[in-house]
Amino acid sequence: MEQVNRIEIKANKNPKSAFANKFAKSMFLSIVALAILVYFGTRAFTHIDLNLYGYMVGTIVFLGGFFYRFISWGERPPTKIILKKGIRLLFLGTTPKTAVEHLATYRFIWNRGVFRWTQHLLIGWGCVLACMVTFPLVFSWMYFTMEENGFYTVVFFGMDLVKIPAEGWMAFLSYNALNISAVMVISGVSLALYRRIKNMQARAEQTFLYDFLPLYLLLFVSITGLLLTFSNMVLHGVGQPVISLIHQFSVIVTLIYLPFGKLAHIPFRPMSVFAKNYRQHYGAEEMKKCKVCGTGFVSVEQSNDVIDVLSQNQMQFQMKEGFNLAELCLPCRRKYRISRFTGISTHELKVKEANQNAKG
Amino acid sequence: MKQVLYIEMDNCIGCRSCLAACTQCGGHEQRNRNYVLDVNPLVNRQTIPLMCFHCVNPACARSCPAQAIQIHESGAVLSALVEKCIGCQNCTIACPYGIPKFDEEQNLMYKCDLCIDRTKDGIPPMCASVCPTNTLQWITEEELSRKKEQHQLDNGKWMASMPFMEGETNVKMNLPGILQGKVKLF
Repeated sequence: MEQVNRIEIKANKNPKSAFANKFAKSMFLSIVALAILVYFGTRAFTHIDLNLYGYMVGTIVFLGGFFYRFISWGERPPTKIILKKGIRLLFLGTTPKTAVEHLATYRFIWNRGVFRWTQHLLIGWGCVLACMVTFPLVFSWMYFTMEENGFYTVVFFGMDLVKIPAEGWMAFLSYNALNISAVMVISGVSLALYRRIKNMQARAEQTFLYDFLPLYLLLFVSITGLLLTFSNMVLHGVGQPVISLIHQFSVIVTLIYLPFGKLAHIPFRPMSVFAKNYRQHYGAEEMKKCKVCGTGFVSVEQSNDVIDVLSQNQMQFQMKEGFNLAELCLPCRRKYRISRFTGISTHELKVKEANQNAKG
Repeated sequence: MKQVLYIEMDNCIGCRSCLAACTQCGGHEQRNRNYVLDVNPLVNRQTIPLMCFHCVNPACARSCPAQAIQIHESGAVLSALVEKCIGCQNCTIACPYGIPKFDEEQNLMYKCDLCIDRTKDGIPPMCASVCPTNTLQWITEEELSRKKEQHQLDNGKWMASMPFMEGETNVKMNLPGILQGKVKLF
């Protein structure tokens, strides 16, 4: 595992740059951006909710981990190519549809199973909802003031956005957004845990640190969050200070874990939209014809990119017949291997592979 | 005691039991990830099974932008992690043997994982456990070296390695024809 994943963050080659490396640059820029946003959001630091400062520190620590992980990952040759070309192709006409299917409705997970889709939808959107409430509150981009009785003014980035009746449904949803998201996440995580315990297939593949820890962390966050509400509504706030500290701790630990474990797929997932665009765009441009049978099987661009990436890894599959293995379609590549074993030119026979798909 | 998958190519009778068994492995979701190929279909019925050879330096993992293909401590090159695979299909283009399969609907690559849920506990992979002719064998390294001693070849290459493969692999195999004239006990 270590052999394939070992990458170094390169020092900046440009000596005139103010920053030692990409990491320092990203960290500096994002913290400056955060500070500017907080300045505007809090009307020049007049409305900071210091109850939540722990989350603020947690977010900055998270950014450190996130950039460390993301930059070292982006240095890998194949990742670099997809990122570069993906950004270039970002404004393709099909991008919105692909993005919605991949990042919002999770259509591909639906095709993997309705159960998995349900659990992912609950956890995914529960977390998104919670983040959309929590972080604006933490950085005071959004807060509530009450001037005339019975009405809350929602202040968003220092601007009075809307006045809502304190007893109305909008207010109800705002107060309870985190409770709703907690219930969503708890039910999603329960489904996920159920599948992992009951399904022997899933059970064999799971490891504690990678598969179970993120679920337990999400459960920890949601339950301590709901306990706060419970303490307020039923126990007249007994234990509130302690529970809120535990809840804060749970969120910060989750944020620190996020870039390194299974949850890292959240910030990395938009790359699947890049990949789809990449295949669509270059596939429409020109298809690579298999050097043996002549069928187009992948875009010329991707075939060349893969050859390039492999040669950066000191792998050259250039055959004495004059083709690179990445220039053969998959069936021909398999038949070519057989021909290498036996000396019979199996790949040149125009006979299709027979009976390859067993019925399970 | 480390065990390896070992292929005796010319034993294969083309029954495709390994394909059927593959569908039944945990996590394979009723789809086989291996192949049985005809060698010279217009002339004879000889077949050879083909599956992931679990390269020591796997091109698929090297070409994966999402680090979705992990290598198990046993050396098995695992199937794509479902949450990481972004569906770019670089791995299918990179693999010198054309092994990874891709599901467009699920936007997910899947490939032979050497039945890692079984082999990590020393249980043979599904294909080897059902093979009726000992084409696919799950053997210890001692057994492997004993097999090696049986074959005296002047070039010292009894197994398919370079130049028959593109690099060192964890799955071992011998070349077709090498066992000719040997008495085989199935």
